[in-house]
Amino acid sequence: MADAKTARAEWGTRFGFLMAMIGAMVGAGNIWRFPYVMGNNGGGAFVLAFLTLLFVLAVPGLMAEVALGRYTKKGIIGAFRDVLGRGGLVGLGVIVLLVNVALMSYYSPLIGWTLYYAVHSLLFTFTAPGFEAQTFLDSFFANPALLIGLHTVVMASVAGVLLLGIRRGVERLVVYAVPALVIALAIMTVRGLTLPGASEGIAFAFDVQWEFLLQGSTWIAALGQALFSTGLGWGIGLTVGSYLREYDDVPLGGGVFTAIGESSIAILAALAIFPVVFAVGVEPDAGAGLAFVSLVQVFPEIPLGGLVAILFFLGFFLATFTSGVVITEVSVTTLSEETGLSRTQTVLGVCGAIWLLGIPSAYSPAILDYLDFVFGNWGLPLATLAIIGVIGWVLGPERLRLLAVNRNAGVHVGKWWDPVIKYVIPSVMIFIMAYYAWEDFGSAEMIGGMLVIVLLPIVGYGVMSVLEGRGGDPGTTDVTGGDD
Amino acid sequence: MVLTADILGMLAFTLVAFWGVASWALVRTMRQESRKIELLEGQDRIDTYSPTALAELREWIQNNPDDPLVDDARRRHNECVETLEGTDRRFYDWSDEEVERLERI
Repeated sequence: MADAKTARAEWGTRFGFLMAMIGAMVGAGNIWRFPYVMGNNGGGAFVLAFLTLLFVLAVPGLMAEVALGRYTKKGIIGAFRDVLGRGGLVGLGVIVLLVNVALMSYYSPLIGWTLYYAVHSLLFTFTAPGFEAQTFLDSFFANPALLIGLHTVVMASVAGVLLLGIRRGVERLVVYAVPALVIALAIMTVRGLTLPGASEGIAFAFDVQWEFLLQGSTWIAALGQALFSTGLGWGIGLTVGSYLREYDDVPLGGGVFTAIGESSIAILAALAIFPVVFAVGVEPDAGAGLAFVSLVQVFPEIPLGGLVAILFFLGFFLATFTSGVVITEVSVTTLSEETGLSRTQTVLGVCGAIWLLGIPSAYSPAILDYLDFVFGNWGLPLATLAIIGVIGWVLGPERLRLLAVNRNAGVHVGKWWDPVIKYVIPSVMIFIMAYYAWEDFGSAEMIGGMLVIVLLPIVGYGVMSVLEGRGGDPGTTDVTGGDD
Repeated sequence: MVLTADILGMLAFTLVAFWGVASWALVRTMRQESRKIELLEGQDRIDTYSPTALAELREWIQNNPDDPLVDDARRRHNECVETLEGTDRRFYDWSDEEVERLERI
């Protein structure tokens, strides 16, 4: 393998690292969620709230996460051990690992949906006479064998890319896939904007309703988008950052470009989708309803609709697939380091486990929705809290800023950054978990979320206590006691 | 619906704030990458800290002599100073006077 265990792999190019970050962060949410949330929360007012939160939370948070990976040059568990020392607390890294595996277990079937629609776009199914979008979707979801088969194809493809390694697999994929996604959306935007009635879609997305800035729901929606869309604290930034080269910058590429660049693709998606949706007079929607019903109804109605469908669904598939590859790499990197298994063995083991765990979500979209809600609202914020908490309260943001963030940096990060990492981001993560618990109090989703919050730390602590010897020497740590 | 000046203004602002900033960051970081590669073709190492960042690092080392990471910080500081003293071409905006005033810790 290119990624020999004795010599840790590195990104071949700066562009490869940047595209890996964007490819990981741009997923289904950018395309089927952001445009609708934006339009329904005050348009331009939402953009201002979202942009503010990106710069206050996501940009500094991503800088911290990527810098920790770059500083330790290890995957999640190894990085946590470097900071915390050996012992049960390294289980905080296990939380991040488990959340990633869970996330990928229901994300893989979703990638399978996009693959199915991409294939049918190439067959011009959506522009065929007599085609019914809702009937097509219903029959697709009523075919478990097909859904599980697609999940299998996706995980096999993810494994195929990861087996090739960081440079020859992940990097080679993202440097083509991410630009292809942007080009596809850009062409679709041009097509949409030249349709009669397209201005309705622009008005829906960009009309400025200032009163929304005074509503808490706007800021909650913007907060959710800023945190979940950028993948802050999921271990992705840490893992991708661990493969940076000696003289690579962290804050400009890993922070500013990643957060703003991936959000730019969400803006482009809004420009690509809503003009065509409104030009045809279809009601805007979010999620599967937008991508697989509303948009599919639009394509037969517009000139060159079949080609636009190909651009959209191939772009959509690339967005989700690149995310899936890099999300899986998080587990592969850390487990390969921790177990001593070869990369090939680890890739096959991780992808096999995710495939197995993903079968229920592939079998039933209702299970997928449930897991998405539970892990989206509580599991992922818990992972973020683990990573940013360790940086903010154990390693210390000032140390990380001086030792890693500002070393070889493309932009200087000042002292303002320290309290953001130590106080602001952890407080926001606790707030958002409490808010969702309060909003869904007593529901099955809330109970599942509470189980995630309680059980994952227990499992993580227990596993690492056993593996690293809880009762004995807690081991040495280079950096504990860091409180700026 | 007619696109009003407000809507068009917000559209323009959004494009500049997102695509403008992202493009700026991409171009800047790729140019810096080219500069680093160019420097490394002529010398085996490049300076790793800007004057501001190195001053902050030095101040922290002096204020935290017992910190568990102070040795690592000192190593990184001195490595940058040695590089600055041993190379003619620099990545960051160091003046010769600034470099002459630097000392190892």
